[in-house]
Amino acid sequence: MHYLSLFFDYIKIYMKTKLTYRSDLWIEIVSDLLFQGLNLLFILVVFMHTDLLGDWTRDEMIFIYGYFMVPYGLFTAFFNMWNFTERYIIKGEMDRVLTRPVHNLFQLVLENIDPSSLFGALSGVVIMVYAGTQLGLDWAWYDPLVLVLLVLSSMMVYFGVYVSLIAIGFFTDSQTGILPLVWNLQNYGRYPVDIYNRVIRFSLTWVLPFAFVGVHPASYFLKKGEWQLYAFLTPLMGVAFFLLALWIWNVGVNRYRGAGS
Amino acid sequence: MDAIRVHRLRKEFQVQQNREGLGGALRDLFDRRYNQVVAVDDISFAIPQGEICGYIGENGAGKSTTIKMLTGILVPTSGEITVNGHVPHKEREQFVREIGVVFGQRSQLWWDIGVIESFRLLRKVYRVPEQAFNERLNELVERLQLGDLLTRPVRKLSLGQRMRCELTAALLHNPKILFLDEPTIGLDILVKSEIRDFLLQINKRYGTTILLTTHDLQDIEALCSRVVMLDDGRIIYDGGLDELKRDWGKGKELLIQFGQPCSPERLRALTADLSVTWEAVNEFTLKAWIPLEQANLTEVLGRVMTLAEIRDLRVLEPNTDDIVKEIYQTGAGKHV
Repeated sequence: MHYLSLFFDYIKIYMKTKLTYRSDLWIEIVSDLLFQGLNLLFILVVFMHTDLLGDWTRDEMIFIYGYFMVPYGLFTAFFNMWNFTERYIIKGEMDRVLTRPVHNLFQLVLENIDPSSLFGALSGVVIMVYAGTQLGLDWAWYDPLVLVLLVLSSMMVYFGVYVSLIAIGFFTDSQTGILPLVWNLQNYGRYPVDIYNRVIRFSLTWVLPFAFVGVHPASYFLKKGEWQLYAFLTPLMGVAFFLLALWIWNVGVNRYRGAGS
Repeated sequence: MDAIRVHRLRKEFQVQQNREGLGGALRDLFDRRYNQVVAVDDISFAIPQGEICGYIGENGAGKSTTIKMLTGILVPTSGEITVNGHVPHKEREQFVREIGVVFGQRSQLWWDIGVIESFRLLRKVYRVPEQAFNERLNELVERLQLGDLLTRPVRKLSLGQRMRCELTAALLHNPKILFLDEPTIGLDILVKSEIRDFLLQINKRYGTTILLTTHDLQDIEALCSRVVMLDDGRIIYDGGLDELKRDWGKGKELLIQFGQPCSPERLRALTADLSVTWEAVNEFTLKAWIPLEQANLTEVLGRVMTLAEIRDLRVLEPNTDDIVKEIYQTGAGKHV
């Protein structure tokens, strides 16, 4: 409860600082949407040359992409710690965080909120609805609830992967190039995994489980028989990765060495 | 009850050793060498509640490392710490609610947002009730004259203004223990003395235990009854400031102004058996250094008075600066 009210207090203040740099905010939103639009265009271009990719149709792909944008947008809005090692470990700002009576990771998340990414999530919903009607999907009354559950699970998968990777900073004390690498890999999660070869398919499901932020949960709504099992696995994977990441993080914090004097 | 108790506390760091040159850097890539550096070497001390304790030492002596362990930021390699009944790094979130921290070199406030908003956010973070918060804030704002700073963002404040805000931020939740790491660094004399007065007042009124590190020995003289001195990770002195002066201040300096011109030679002859050294400041004024082991003040003054009329006399207390310098130069001091 306390954490929830803190969450809103932080958001209020950070919205305020963001809004003082108004032009920045608009540029961020527009460039974000442009980037997503370009990705969507890519899918459309591919399907101008073929009707099926694997056994997936164009509208199904677009639906998956729409789903992908929702947890992605929400996650990047509430988790923006790409400069964590630089700012908090090398410059030692972690000192400040550790002397406050709120869990340090929660504080870090709050301090790095970037609400402009929420627009991406919103457009994801629009795309899903559009592709869904094109496909003639029928929604049961509980499907919106399932959507919320799956989106939350996908966010936990993101959280698990990135918090674990960022925690590496505690062990190395310096920047590692692994973050942008993984960041690029996550884009593969928005295409059906059966179009890849077996090694990649396995990795995207179990190692860096980015299939669970896109294609797997989305296939629940597409009612794609064999893939539905994976959709139900999403919450489990989310919780597992979330807990694993928290554990790695807490071990890492105890190795924090601070900077300078 | 002791506010802080430390027993055989130790912190080691692994420091990467870089080889020289580009070739060395390439070798480092595959084969790294590490050096074990002991930053804090088995220190033990206890600070009773309500005391202001100065923690001094040269750069790299391990002061900040100790403070960071006491505040729960760093995890000690070995040894025990109890601060306010908690083990800092184990019950971090519980523990930090009752302490205040100011690092002179690093801001505790949010850079981009207004001072008052930082304070309001801290109220939520520390769960201070609204009314208690307002009373406390008003008191601090009045005492530290923050009135017109409150609406400005932290990044637009001068160092002195920022430090006053940092102190306020650290005290909003009425902590029992206040840790200050070089709180007066880079400040002008006016702000320094204002902050010293303020700390004394807080200590008197609320019984707040204060542990501060500093390079400015005037801070120590103005504030501390107790000094812990650190060198190379070890405690080389732990005790009262007065005893420090008595044990290490080996003599007294005397400034005497005579009614008529006086040469140092005549005075030297007069006090030859007392090994007092004389030095002329000008024609009328002389400076004497009296080693306390061999002579006492009355003896010297008695003899001098027979010689000439004394217009003015000043006894210069041994200066903490000099004492500290001497302790470091003689190296070990007395190990505690």
